[in-house]
Amino acid sequence: MMLLYKAWLESRTRFLLSFLAIAGLSTVFVFFNHDVRTAVTDHDVSYSEYIWKAIFQGQLRDIYVVLALLLGMGGLDRERAYGTSGYTLALPISRWRFVTARGIAGVIETAVLAFLPATLVPALSPFVHEFYAWGQALQFGILWTVGGVLIFTMGFFASVLFSGEYSAAVAALILLFAYSIATDLPGMEHFIVDIHDTMNGSGPHGFATLTMISLTAAAIIGLAGYITTRKDY
Amino acid sequence: MLWLKAWRESRVRFLLTALTLSTLSAFAVLFEPYIQQHQLPIPIHMRNGVYTEYIYNLIFSGTAKGIFALLVIFLGLGGLQRERAHNTAGFTLALPVSRFRVIGTQIAVGIIELAALALVPAILIPGLSTFMHRSYPFPIALHFSILWFFGGLIIFSVSFLLSVALSGEYTAPVVCYLLLALHTFVAASHPLAPYRLQLMWIMGEFRTMRWDAAHDLLQPPPLSWLRLLVMALLAFLLFSAAVRVTDRQDF
Repeated sequence: MMLLYKAWLESRTRFLLSFLAIAGLSTVFVFFNHDVRTAVTDHDVSYSEYIWKAIFQGQLRDIYVVLALLLGMGGLDRERAYGTSGYTLALPISRWRFVTARGIAGVIETAVLAFLPATLVPALSPFVHEFYAWGQALQFGILWTVGGVLIFTMGFFASVLFSGEYSAAVAALILLFAYSIATDLPGMEHFIVDIHDTMNGSGPHGFATLTMISLTAAAIIGLAGYITTRKDY
Repeated sequence: MLWLKAWRESRVRFLLTALTLSTLSAFAVLFEPYIQQHQLPIPIHMRNGVYTEYIYNLIFSGTAKGIFALLVIFLGLGGLQRERAHNTAGFTLALPVSRFRVIGTQIAVGIIELAALALVPAILIPGLSTFMHRSYPFPIALHFSILWFFGGLIIFSVSFLLSVALSGEYTAPVVCYLLLALHTFVAASHPLAPYRLQLMWIMGEFRTMRWDAAHDLLQPPPLSWLRLLVMALLAFLLFSAAVRVTDRQDF
């Protein structure tokens, strides 16, 4: 529990800023839908299509992806730069538990951020005399959580590999772009799931796909833990 | 010596960004037949265009521009706050130079790196195109480099000011990214859209490109130097604020 609290303290500023941004933008997208609609689409679309294009498929999802990636930053390599890794490693716990706690805290934060638009959009829509189905929004919440956790693990893994200041973040972003371009290559759909399509509901998003993505995320955290245990701090 | 220090602090981020932009530019040119044939990752309404349109949509107003804008945020992170976190601020401040010179050197090195990054596609695209028996006019590529530089300068200066003012390793980049996203929505919204204040639109000449008479060259309009001057002044004001904040900080 103490380790979870430590992980929370280390990431809470990023999380709270992300929370405020996603909540604020979701609210703006709903309340100012007539003004923002022209910025999101070129032509008149229905409210539900606009919400999908602006939030669940488009701009807000892009923001969520980058924020989830940045939530993965931190860890013992950064602590070494600050000169505090010795204190953390002196705690009577294994490195595995440290990595697991940071992973769990990140997964919870990623999930909370994912369900933010999924709850705000249907709840706020009646205030502008519009309707958005709760069931549909919550489905996107689940898809965002699964996809967001995989993206979080990319940042998490980069933070274990790169110890330089901001190098992990830059490397993680480049990795994400490379992955996004690679998934668009012809034939790659047989080997890699396009997480962006899964998150916006236009790609495969069945139970088997979501399980496979979750297992991949768990494996990446496991690999990060394995690398951490073998490093010399 | 301060120049070397500023370079060493930012070189990994700079080199990673340069490598990414180079790879993407080379990929776009060398695999153009493959990408066009398989129709990826260009939006449907832009596919099967002529070569200049393809390069414009993929590089100068597409994925490469987005990557550039995002990674410039990290290039702009400097100042003495992070040195305080690493307990090295004392050593830097003990040097017989003013804080203005320390910060000013970081800004100058960053601006040079920014200019170099903005030039990467402008050099690679026309250069590599000749190997593929294609041509992309260097003046047009340079036109976008200038726009990328001034657009990147705004992002860089905001990021720098935030890194000077905010403590916490990832607070400044997260805030800067959110400000950039917020600006994108606000500037593109209905009442403000006609004024074309959106940085991404300016950097990519969004909806201002025109075909030549033969319809085989997508050309940008002449550069609006007044707009670029205003952008440079805004960046200067933000840098000045960063210097002033640093002068008043207690380390």
